[in-house]
Amino acid sequence: MIMRPSETYSFRANLLIIWSEVVKNVKFLLAYPVIFVFWTIFPFFWFIPFIFQGQAFVGGLQSASFEQFAGTPDYIPFIVIGAILNGYVLTSLYGVGESIRREAYRGTLDYLLSSPCNKAFILIGKAMSESINGTMYAAIQFVVGILFFGIELTIDTIMPIVLIIFLLILGLYGISLMLAAVSLQFKQAHDLAHTLEYVFYVFTPVRYPLQSLPFWAQVLGKFLPLTYALVAVRSIMLLKQDVLAIYQEIFLLLVVDIALIFLGFYLFNWMEKRTKSSGTISHY
Amino acid sequence: MLGPNGAGKTTLVKCLSTILIPDEGTAIINGFDIRKQTTLVRASLGMVIGGERTLYWKLTARDNLLYFASLYKMPRKKIKERVDELLGKMNLLDRADERLEDYSTGMRQKVAIARALLHDPSILLLDEPTLGLDPTFSRQIRNQIRELSKKEGKTVLLATHYMEEADELCDRIAIINEGKIVAADTPDRLKAMVKETELVEVICYNPPQNAEKYLESLCPDVEIITLVRGEEAKGTPSRIKLIGGNAEKRIGTVVDALRKKNTQIISLNISVPTLEDVFIKLTGAKLTEGGRGTSQ
Repeated sequence: MIMRPSETYSFRANLLIIWSEVVKNVKFLLAYPVIFVFWTIFPFFWFIPFIFQGQAFVGGLQSASFEQFAGTPDYIPFIVIGAILNGYVLTSLYGVGESIRREAYRGTLDYLLSSPCNKAFILIGKAMSESINGTMYAAIQFVVGILFFGIELTIDTIMPIVLIIFLLILGLYGISLMLAAVSLQFKQAHDLAHTLEYVFYVFTPVRYPLQSLPFWAQVLGKFLPLTYALVAVRSIMLLKQDVLAIYQEIFLLLVVDIALIFLGFYLFNWMEKRTKSSGTISHY
Repeated sequence: MLGPNGAGKTTLVKCLSTILIPDEGTAIINGFDIRKQTTLVRASLGMVIGGERTLYWKLTARDNLLYFASLYKMPRKKIKERVDELLGKMNLLDRADERLEDYSTGMRQKVAIARALLHDPSILLLDEPTLGLDPTFSRQIRNQIRELSKKEGKTVLLATHYMEEADELCDRIAIINEGKIVAADTPDRLKAMVKETELVEVICYNPPQNAEKYLESLCPDVEIITLVRGEEAKGTPSRIKLIGGNAEKRIGTVVDALRKKNTQIISLNISVPTLEDVFIKLTGAKLTEGGRGTSQ
């Protein structure tokens, strides 16, 4: 046997699992080139309704009443940042759970489960593939935002923004794991992902400032990592604040991340055991 | 493991490979408990289950094998060498960089077998490895299984409903029906269980609808009477088997009775027992028909 039991926990081998999973998913993506049409067109389509909506409601792209809540009168840059970060939510919600369902449909899930590696690394690889997808999409949206919608990105703000997006992605991994667990048990997570998509839209400040929500809704929003990420990135990019001024958001984002990842792994392991006992794990 | 579809072969293979958790009991594989030492069990096993569908068709054969090898935590350098070695062994090296969607069923099954061998496991679990393959590929796969067992010294657990395959490849056969192993022994010893009793086979066309019940009423001293219907429209005759008791003495009665019902008798044999006869004797069910073994 090439692999000896003592070799089952090597760090490099675990990194190779993640890398292989990412490479596999990127190759799948490239096998369906129509996705590039979506990447090119969709950023414009997402922004355009908000421009018209802003013009219809406030007669332009700036609003004094909006400034009272958001700290900036510019409606469009606010929305553009919301859309970019929300893109990560969408790829996470629809990515990993659906990927598990597809593995079951293909018949490959049995082989992933019967391999001696820790399944967490396969899931991380799947989530990372979605993050890469999300980042490519976000990069295009950033460029479109800079070129057409007045977004300003300076060199000194890039690192803090990358850090915040990284922390956002970590929290979303936790939610991805939960959806993967749901997919194992119920054989599809799409409807739940769709519901969660709207939970994020309503209870996080994607389209409007958090302060415009009633108090109870604001409290709910604070359980979602996107809330902290949006507040932090907008503070840096629109309000020109220093990282130190938003340390509270970053800290709370980290706390939410840890809770979500812990919950995600717990739920996935529980569902895996449950479906293995019921004999339904390979069903789709 | 020989048994009809639905007998529980795949479920058992999935339990042994830790994909499913058994309701009760356990098994020891390579010295490791399938309930408590799942990682070590998985590292000891190679598996072919579900056939060609269980690969990524949008990826090449090489990409498939490279990916699955990474799950077995083999050193990266060794992975590439091993993948090339196995592709060569399966005669797929010249098409290694083509997507599996362009492969034939038999070629994909070869990739599935190569995947099971990636980490050079000492034990192989093969679930219906020749299902759906044409005779040429079936023979190639059977030869490979024989080679793995005889030349490379691997333990192979083969689950099949093809009795010829079990007879040809296995040193020991466990007959499984409705989730239970009803006998386990060498093929010769299993057949000897039937040899001692009389076995008559009537090859015919157009047997009566209720042939078994009809003949049972006429030959109450025959242990088992079973009808395996052939695809008569395509020229494959039906077979009526009389096993045990005074089967041979009842030949005349059976022939007369069938003629009365307009059955066209092609031939009549006092036959050599097959594993199917063993299965019928042990379970009272047929092995060759689709679905579960049909009770008489």
